[in-house]
Amino acid sequence: MAIAVKLDDLLHDRRMTLTELADRIGMTLANLSILKTGKARAIRFSTLEAICGALSCQPGDLLRFESEQAERERPAAAG
Amino acid sequence: MTRPASSAALPTAYVVLRILVFLNWLSGAAIAALLVAMPNRQWIMSAFHLSPSPDADRLIMGMRAIAAFGLVAIPLNYVVLKRLLAIVETVRAGDPFVAANALRLKAIAWTLLALQLLSLVIGAIAKAVSTPAHPLHLQAGFSISGWLAVLLTFLLARVFAEGTLMREDLEGTV
Repeated sequence: MAIAVKLDDLLHDRRMTLTELADRIGMTLANLSILKTGKARAIRFSTLEAICGALSCQPGDLLRFESEQAERERPAAAG
Repeated sequence: MTRPASSAALPTAYVVLRILVFLNWLSGAAIAALLVAMPNRQWIMSAFHLSPSPDADRLIMGMRAIAAFGLVAIPLNYVVLKRLLAIVETVRAGDPFVAANALRLKAIAWTLLALQLLSLVIGAIAKAVSTPAHPLHLQAGFSISGWLAVLLTFLLARVFAEGTLMREDLEGTV
């Protein structure tokens, strides 16, 4: 998908595990994993609010638009 | 999510459908037996108190044709009943909004349509061979409730297809 979820990077920066975040915002680990791995089809505003509150970040830090074309070109540029 | 209180409707539907499947095969066997074992013209004439005449011959031919079409209805009935049973199973399992049920309902709708057309054919045959001397009364032909059921089932299939999509969206929402 063209929307990339940067939850992994945010957690890494804040030295927090997914389990800790799940505990803090009262979400199941399974649901957070779906979000982290980019398998979610939609995100509720309430979820976004809880995550941004717990990680002290903006929604834009969590989600990023990456055009499909850029995604295709990236491996070529890296190699 | 609140779950609807369990009712006797599901087990009842399950048992009734199972019985109907059995009765369907039974009537199929009866029609087949009638077609295969009873082509004796004399037997039919005496059973129905028919006097030998061209009308009586037409009536016998018509009844055979109706029996043959009736035999066609048996597998169609089975398609409907078997899919209904599968739908009841998914409701019992607590997850009826699946793509398979939308497809099942669509299959049921098409089969009901075929059965209505069959009913029209059977009704037309009965009307064609029936005479004042040898009347043939059958509950076949055009039925508003039958066609309404066809329409309703097609609509329900669409509703299920939409419901399945919404369900998938909801499941992918975090």
